[in-house]
Amino acid sequence: MELFNNLLMGLSTALELNNLLFCLIGVVIGTAIGVLPGIGPIPTVALLLPFTFGLSPPSAMIMLAGIFYGAQYGGSTTAILVNVPGETSSVVTCIDGHEMAKQGKAGTALAIAAIASFFAGTTATIVIAVLSVPLSMLALKFTAVEYFSLLVLGLIAAVVLAHGSVAKSLAMVLLGLLLGLVGIDVSSGVARMTFGIAALSDGLDFVPIAMGLFGLGEIIANLERPVERRVVSQSIRSLIPSQEDFRAAFPAMVRGTALGSVLGVLPGGGAALPPFSSYALEKKLARDPSRFGKGAIEGVAGPEAANNAGAQTSFIPLLTLGIPANALMALMIGALMMQGIQPGPQIMTEQPKLVWGVIASMWVGNLMLLVINLPLIGLWVSMLKIPYRLLFPAIVLFCCIGTYGIANSLFNVWLMMGCALIGYFFIKIGVEPAPLLLGLVLGPQLEENFRRAMLIADGDFAVFLSRPISAVILGVVAILLLAMLSPQILKTRKEALAE
Amino acid sequence: MTRSRIDLQDLLFGLFLVVVAAGTLVATRKLAIGHAADMGPGYMPRVVAVALMGFGLFFSGRGLWRMRVGIAPVQLRPLLAILASVGVFALTAERLGLAIASVVAVILASFATREGRLIEAIAFAIVLSGAAVLLFVKLLGLPIPIWPR
Repeated sequence: MELFNNLLMGLSTALELNNLLFCLIGVVIGTAIGVLPGIGPIPTVALLLPFTFGLSPPSAMIMLAGIFYGAQYGGSTTAILVNVPGETSSVVTCIDGHEMAKQGKAGTALAIAAIASFFAGTTATIVIAVLSVPLSMLALKFTAVEYFSLLVLGLIAAVVLAHGSVAKSLAMVLLGLLLGLVGIDVSSGVARMTFGIAALSDGLDFVPIAMGLFGLGEIIANLERPVERRVVSQSIRSLIPSQEDFRAAFPAMVRGTALGSVLGVLPGGGAALPPFSSYALEKKLARDPSRFGKGAIEGVAGPEAANNAGAQTSFIPLLTLGIPANALMALMIGALMMQGIQPGPQIMTEQPKLVWGVIASMWVGNLMLLVINLPLIGLWVSMLKIPYRLLFPAIVLFCCIGTYGIANSLFNVWLMMGCALIGYFFIKIGVEPAPLLLGLVLGPQLEENFRRAMLIADGDFAVFLSRPISAVILGVVAILLLAMLSPQILKTRKEALAE
Repeated sequence: MTRSRIDLQDLLFGLFLVVVAAGTLVATRKLAIGHAADMGPGYMPRVVAVALMGFGLFFSGRGLWRMRVGIAPVQLRPLLAILASVGVFALTAERLGLAIASVVAVILASFATREGRLIEAIAFAIVLSGAAVLLFVKLLGLPIPIWPR
């Protein structure tokens, strides 16, 4: 019954008029961002962070969360109509979704994507609610020792499960940790690596870094490879799928939801891994796998459900333990910290209104997405016609003003410029910047808990292994790292993450 | 992509890490390290920098040893245009005001692609500048001058 009461409390927060409004703004902006290829959810969330300073913490999180799952949703529209993934998570939707559109079934594909997303979103909301209580009970037993181990697990798991080379990602995490150490040391009051720059004494703002690395760096790289976009121009006839289509899609939807929910909880899973796995699963289960790639409706329903479920359940570690599962969740943590909320294992007991409000708002937001998207599909299609040559200067300008606005500091604009250059460099040398952001946001917490744990244990490193919970967590870390060395797993991982 | 005798991606990443790690070690040389039970401010930076140095040397070595593809050639036009756009915004925003800084930044950014047409870019820049002033200064109260002081 506690669960029921919690959800009710959450709903009462989510249904407050202003929160409904911020949820709506979030999902609409998110959908727009998802539809437009060329700017991802990370720079968008970073860009919009300054706008949320004046809001209450629940409103801010509700809006930012809306942007995230709205973007997942919008990405599928572009995938189906233009064959360009608006988001990485909709890469697979391109395969069969665009094929359906070419066959004149664009409406059906869009509707199935919407229904699958809504179904998955609803289910994932329940999954989050059910899992949150036991996790937060466990989290209450945590001291600095356990929390440090948990942070290590979060970072390592995010690295192991994400794209790209594990060694490079580990190096990027360390780089992020290092950047996180810049500023005045809390315990001794000594300036570290500030090079005498006053703007650095509070540490590096992660917003200009995120915008530079993920936004501007990406834009520069995009401009090097001009992509032509061809919208499937036929009018979208029927949005209502036939009974036959629905019967084929429903089981895929259920399987996709289950798979997405599980993979989403894992750090690093986020929304990228689930759709790929779901597509592979549907193809394996299909009676006639050759239909895939030629407009199989299961190939749209499964991955779409999986990506939405995954997007939502990736909030679980954040909402219950205060640990981000991916770079976007790291930004959310940053948003919380800017609101003066210290993320950590106590977050659920100390901020129940916030946590349950965000959970309940996800269901509300998914309902909104269903309602605003199907009738408004024409609007989104017309947005696709905005040429990139107009889009990117606007993004550059808003990034400049947005970064400036965080602390009214021109230093942040220069910082963003430097990060744009570094972001471009990272793209050129094929390194993923996401782990850097995780390290940057978690760095200070990692150091603080490490120092506190060492203080408690009188400098004895064995404490991390003598406390049972911590030992189990570090055991999982060791297994993950060892598993990465096994050639068999390396091979499957490569296949699973291959785009 | 060009073939290269060395893995340029690995090598460049490795060298980058080595430079960052070395820079950190130099910048933090005067900070007290302390010991594990009572860490000084220099403890963590140095631990992380040493680990980064290890990764950097590993990648540099692997880059020299492995034969792989090189990196795609750098195109200067988008790179310089975008960086210049941001840089000019930083230089002008507080002195010339948001309205002018925005126009200049958007026009500079639009040079990043050959597709751009100057007239269109100027018109669009003026529209965007107006929108930015309305949104950020009027609506959100960002304390930034609109016109030159």
